Order: sequence, then C-alpha cells, then structure tokens
Amino acid sequence: MVKGADGGTGRLGDGEKESAVNPPSPRPPVSPSATESPLSVQLGPLRLKNPILTASGTFGYGLEFTDWVDLARLGGLCTKGLSLRPHAGNAPPRICETPAGMLNAIGLQNIGVEAFLSEKLPRLRSMGATVIANVWGDVEEDYVAIVKTLEGAQGLAAVELNISCPNVEKGGMLFGNSPSATASLVSRVRGATGFPLIVKLSPNAPNLVESARSARAAGADVLSLVNTFVGMSIDPETARPRLSFGTGGLSGPAIKPLAVRMVYQVARALPDTPLMGIGGISQLSDVLEFLAAGATAVQIGTANFVEPGVSQRLVEELGVYCARRGAPVATLVGRAHRCGLPAGEAGAEG
Amino acid sequence: MLEVPGRVRPYLRRAYSVADADREAGEVELLVKTIGVGTAALEDLAEGSSVHLLGPLGNGFGIEDLPIGARVAVVAGGIGAAPFPLLLRALQKRTIAGDFFFGGRGERDLALLNRFDGRVPGDTFLSTDDGSAGEKGRVTDLFRRRASAGRYARLYACGPMPMLAALAPIAADLRLPSQFSTEAEMGCGFGACLGCVIPGVEKPFIVSCTEGPILPSEKVKW
Repeated sequence: MVKGADGGTGRLGDGEKESAVNPPSPRPPVSPSATESPLSVQLGPLRLKNPILTASGTFGYGLEFTDWVDLARLGGLCTKGLSLRPHAGNAPPRICETPAGMLNAIGLQNIGVEAFLSEKLPRLRSMGATVIANVWGDVEEDYVAIVKTLEGAQGLAAVELNISCPNVEKGGMLFGNSPSATASLVSRVRGATGFPLIVKLSPNAPNLVESARSARAAGADVLSLVNTFVGMSIDPETARPRLSFGTGGLSGPAIKPLAVRMVYQVARALPDTPLMGIGGISQLSDVLEFLAAGATAVQIGTANFVEPGVSQRLVEELGVYCARRGAPVATLVGRAHRCGLPAGEAGAEG
Repeated sequence: MLEVPGRVRPYLRRAYSVADADREAGEVELLVKTIGVGTAALEDLAEGSSVHLLGPLGNGFGIEDLPIGARVAVVAGGIGAAPFPLLLRALQKRTIAGDFFFGGRGERDLALLNRFDGRVPGDTFLSTDDGSAGEKGRVTDLFRRRASAGRYARLYACGPMPMLAALAPIAADLRLPSQFSTEAEMGCGFGACLGCVIPGVEKPFIVSCTEGPILPSEKVKW
C-alpha cells in the first residue's frame, strides 16, 4: 500500500509568522554549567536529554517508528497506555478526520503490562530510548498493581498516569474529572512506585487548575497536559456518529490554542510544578510556544501519524535554534509569563 | 482582503493501493476516485506537482504459491478495481489464468474498464446494479453463477466492505481460498494509531495496515 497526499513540514497555514522562530536577543543562561547539553531539561527528579517527547497513544511502543526515528535522540517516549491485562479496545470505526485534526476512540487497545515488560522494554532499552510507561486502569487497585509490576524495571525512566482518556467506559477520565478522585488515586500510586510520577491531565475536567493542584499535592512530580478534548462528528447524510463509540478525543493542530492556554494557566497557578505541554505540536514554533507558556518539555502527538520523523526533526531544529540563540533551552521556559499580562488575560479558571 | 487558497484539510495522509509499478522507471501508478477531501485535494494538484509518499506499507496479494497453469478469480467493485492491474500482470507473467469479475452500481462505476483492455489473462465478466453495462445485478451474484466448486484455485477481491461481506460466504461454500483487500480508515498506515482495525475471527481485532490490508476472508468477522 502506498500513502499519498501531502506530508512534511509547514503544511498547515496556522498563522505562525517566520519571525516567531527567529532568535530574540540572547539572555544569560539560567544554569550556566558548561558541561551540560544546552537541550537537557530537569523536570523534578526526571532529567531528560532534551524536551521533545512523544505522546502516549501516538507512538505505539516506539518500535513502530524506528524506520524514521533514532529513539535515543528523543527526550523520551510515552508508551501506549498500558493496562494490567491486554485490552482489545473499541469496535471500529475508531478514527475520523476533522478540520486540522482528528477524533479517535481507540479505547486503549494494548498488549498489557507483562507483555510490554517482556517483549518491548528490553528492545527499547537496547536502543537507548528514554521510556515513560503510560498506565491506566478501571479502578485505583489496577493502577497500583500496574506500577508495582513496573517497579524496578530496567530501562524505565518514569511512569505517566493516564487519568484523562475519554474513550473508555470506566476509569480513565473519571479519575481526572474530579479533584478528589485525582488526589486519592495519585497518592495511592505515589506510595506504590519509586519512579518519577507524571500525571496526565484531562482538558475535559471542570476545573483544570484544581485538578492540577490536587495531582501535585498528592505527590505528582510532573504534570502533562493536555489529553484529547471530547468531541463528536456526525455523518450529515446518515445522521450517524462517525465513531462507533459515539464521541472521541479531538487532537491535532485544531486544539493547540486551547492547550497553550491551559498550560499557561496551570503554570501561572503552580509556578513550581514542572509541566509537559501537549496539543497540536508539529513545528518548532509550536514547541517554542508551549515552552513560553510554561512547559519545561513537550510531547508530540498526532503529528507522528502524518510525519513519523517529526519528533527527531524537532529535536534537531530546537538544537539549531538554541545554538543560534546562544542559550540553553531552559531559558525559553515561561517567557510568556514575563510579559506582564493581567491575570485575567489567562482566562477564568475552569 | 486577499485569500490564498490554503488547506487545513486533509490533515492525515490517505491510504491508496498500488495499481501498478515499474521498478526500473521508478514509477508508481495510483487509480483514484474523488470521494472526499483527501481525494479532492489530489485532484486539485497541477500536473508535475510533488506529493510525499510513505510506502509501500502493509502486505500485498500473494501468487507465488500458485502452481503454473492454475486459474484464479478476481472480483472488483467500482474503484475496488484499483489494485488489480499489477496483480493481473503478475498472474499473466506466471502463466496463471485469471477471470476478471467487475461490477458497479452503474456504467460510471466501470470507468476503469479501459485500463484492463487486453490485460486480463482470462475472461472478463461485467455487471451493474441498474443494468447499464454488463449483466444486471450484483457482481457477487455474477461470480456465484459463474464459479463452481474446484473451478478456481483462489479468489482475489477488492471493493466496498459490504461487497466483500457478501462474497465471503460464497467463497466459503466453494471452499475457495481467498485474499480480500479490506478497507478501513487509516490514521498512520504503520501500526501506531490502531485506528484501522477490522473485527477478526481468531482475535478481537486485526490491524489492517500492518496485518493486512489483504486478508483471508475466513479470518475476518464480517
């Protein structure tokens, strides 16, 4: 089979001006250690070689991408969401394209945590990949059991809790939509794992900042935001939803401004919490925008489907950008917060 | 106010079957019918335009295990004829006879017929639902009438999923080994998004892009 149509870079005229990626006047480095790579970042206990990661659910188990990406070059990769046992996922149709993005209701199909540990992780480790295990469950006990299974695994850098998948009947987003459920789950998992703990937040939560605060207070080292937005597409002729699940998660460039706003808001409310920004990133200017909003690192999602080598390309482009600018990437984080916007400019919380 | 025509759609790549390919010339032929935003964007391209191609991906039709002199059936519905020029040429090269059953709703759906002129290593049978070309009726019924047990060594088929679903029990009745080119909306084409699954018999879902798209009909839960 051959794939046609256009791919590559700069394919979406999203209004980014070329000047957005031109280096502003150099600033003094924040951490002027000469021995450190200018791209390395520190997120709480998690040190990454660069701030470009790939998002769970859009990068398989990493091994699907080795024709296009040297996994060792990435800041990290987040695995497909792992459950205690293999999970079949939802009936098709599972995806449909929407303007500047797509809806998905895959339903967390995955091989299960045991198969991941025996079949995938050793190969990822041998390739030098920085692996973050994304995990999910129906109930708190599932999450605890999974992280206990992962505990001490060689080649694992961190665990990311998915409390925000909109495409399963139980668990998933239900944990993320209630600050108290978030707090309860995160504190139990925190007690069960020694790995750096990332909590992936739902943009569908009634109050994202409160969810973020709960997750952080309960022991999350890092917050990643955002997962997909619940959306729907209906065939105008048949009047049937295009996805068998009815609703799905919206991703792609369409959600970027929403995600940037949320990262900005959470960064403002929780300035000492390391954040990973996610949502519609496909170009260097998108990366810089999320860093400016307050993310210390970013995850590339749906763009991996369109341009499978996009993550490595962005690592390279960010390296060139930082070299030209003469300052480490850490100095790019949170710059938008120094613009002196009134608090109200970030929009009302929730 | 000036608008430069730009696109936010299509966003994802689109999957097409290879109609034919010439390794020496470095050419790949695609037969495309405009049905949505992806195909419309292709149609809008000026001659000589560049596109990005990721492929070939997935599997293809298998003929290597067929004995020389065997006879096979090839069933196509509408634009489902797209992958068959290369298959028919490969069959001819191995002196395997192939009867071509080509159907559509009306004559317009058989527009690709001239692409097969003189290139079918066997008989050609046509049908349309409205009778505007060939026999009136469905191509699956046409095939059922012409095929008898033992006549064919294999059935190759490509067309809308309902056509393949109608063909599956016919192949089963005839104990005819089959290779069906399945259709599913694909996000990535290389097994990452898991968007293109098809319900399976031996397991809940078959990933069409990496395990297919060519599948034995008995493995699919129609």
